[in-house]
Amino acid sequence: MKSGKDKQISLHDAVEKYLPNGSSFSFGGLGARDPFAIAFEMIRQEKKDLTMITASGMDIANIVIGAGCIRKVEGAYVWIGSVGSGLNYRRAVEKGIPVKVETEEYSNYAASLRFLAGSMNIPFMATRSMLGSDIPKYNNKIKLMDDPYTGEPVALVSAANPDVAFIHVQKADLSGNGQIWGILMNDPTIARAAKSVVITCEEIVSTQEIRKMSNLTAIPGYTVDAVVQVPFCSHPMWTAGYYWCDLPFRRNFMLYNKSQETFEQWVKEWVLDTGSWQGYLDKLGQDRLNKLMQMERDNYQIPEFKA
Amino acid sequence: MLAEKFTTKELMAVCCAHEIKNGELVFVGIGLPMMGGLVAAKTHAKDSIFVYEGGGVGGMSRRVPWSIADNPTAENALMIHEMWRLFSDGQAGYINRGVIGGAQIDKFGNLNTTAIIGDKSYASPVVRLPGSGGANDIASSCGETTIVMQLDKGFVEKIDFITSPGHLTGPGSRKKAGLVGRGPSAVITQKCIFRFDEQTKEMYLDALFPGVTIEAVKAQVGWNLQISPNVKAVVTPTVEELEIIHTLDPKGIMLGAKSDDEEDFNEFFQLMKQAYEAVELDLG
Repeated sequence: MKSGKDKQISLHDAVEKYLPNGSSFSFGGLGARDPFAIAFEMIRQEKKDLTMITASGMDIANIVIGAGCIRKVEGAYVWIGSVGSGLNYRRAVEKGIPVKVETEEYSNYAASLRFLAGSMNIPFMATRSMLGSDIPKYNNKIKLMDDPYTGEPVALVSAANPDVAFIHVQKADLSGNGQIWGILMNDPTIARAAKSVVITCEEIVSTQEIRKMSNLTAIPGYTVDAVVQVPFCSHPMWTAGYYWCDLPFRRNFMLYNKSQETFEQWVKEWVLDTGSWQGYLDKLGQDRLNKLMQMERDNYQIPEFKA
Repeated sequence: MLAEKFTTKELMAVCCAHEIKNGELVFVGIGLPMMGGLVAAKTHAKDSIFVYEGGGVGGMSRRVPWSIADNPTAENALMIHEMWRLFSDGQAGYINRGVIGGAQIDKFGNLNTTAIIGDKSYASPVVRLPGSGGANDIASSCGETTIVMQLDKGFVEKIDFITSPGHLTGPGSRKKAGLVGRGPSAVITQKCIFRFDEQTKEMYLDALFPGVTIEAVKAQVGWNLQISPNVKAVVTPTVEELEIIHTLDPKGIMLGAKSDDEEDFNEFFQLMKQAYEAVELDLG
């Protein structure tokens, strides 16, 4: 158990302490609850030679790749969903711009099972995915074998235990019990697989509050090393029950993403010159943030549990 | 009532919807397939349940999802799993159909979404593509798959990388490889629909879009394409189906509209607000 009644630290310290250059990490969320505030801090601290272990990664993965933080991706997908192409990933893999990125290729399920094996403290998991495809041909860490019990073909994937996982949640208490509403991705499993876990949250609540709806606790405090409260941590993506996705921001980003040069202008304007996450939110403006909150709350709210 | 005017993408989405049978548990990927799923869910396949890779089961939203784990995949869902759990349900045989796309395809319906390697290498390819995501898992284990992709230079004799298995090298090869699902049953393109021969497992031309000739299709296909002895005309969208598309995707994002200008946040906010107010949800 990772004990401690108050695990709060600053955003700066969370990234500095738990993500040394050359280490491996995972982001929680996907398209929702992506920890953008952590990614921006990685860029400000000029992190490099990192291995990103993921199932799928979208905008946030492309941004840290374009900023040169990443050497290797172990995962199944890097793109921008239906909003646009993963141009930073393409430049990095095809041309080594700004840094050559190596891919250790899996399917989403296989990548997920690696976290599951890691969370269970077993060396590998077996799957019927990837059989007959070229994925194992280009990734010698995937082992094809016949099941010793039935003789049927299976693919084995090794456990993934990232050095640190950064997982954004709606609510957490000071010891890191994290409550999630909406999509889970593999986050409860990743929290158990990672050697260190940093929780960012929209709100810090009392432990008493956590106990009221304990089924929502997806991340156990006993896996968590540090807690950082970061409102709007996922902007321009969503956090269910809190704020809507800022699609115009994402689509405007795609315009800057067309070349490395214009991407770097975007990073300077939105990440470096803003100086901090609060500086970024100030630049977006309270009116815009209020509207994103209103859109989410008009559309969908986390229901209150009443007996 | 059949609509008089529709775009090719809208027709593709509707063709995709028609592949989905009522009562199926369906895995839908992002983009056009997702729109097909949503149209089916609101018309002939009301008892079907749609699942998304991010873990959402049976989500009901006033807006179309922009990714496989976007909030609308989870809003009003029946339940929300972790990703590994949902794919496990697929591997265990619960999911009847998957709808996926690709950049390259061969005559057995094997798909490439990993890299156009060309004369370069896998590590530094000519074009790096997104990777499998969950497409390999869907193609491996779902009951059957519907493929949605552009008919263009990607229809080749040999694809650069088999990301998602179709019928591999022909009859019996999926079983031999250890795959659980039956493989692809249809390929929907912007010009036509292909299906797979029961005996040979090879793709053949089954139905044409309005105004498209057999020759025009053959010209795009990089192997000696088999043609059905009675090529059909596809069923075009109804007015109702088109209305569903326009309401769920007012910006046309799902069907591939890209923006070249800076977008105004307040205009977007008003547009989405209106779109939300226009949609009534039937939550059962």
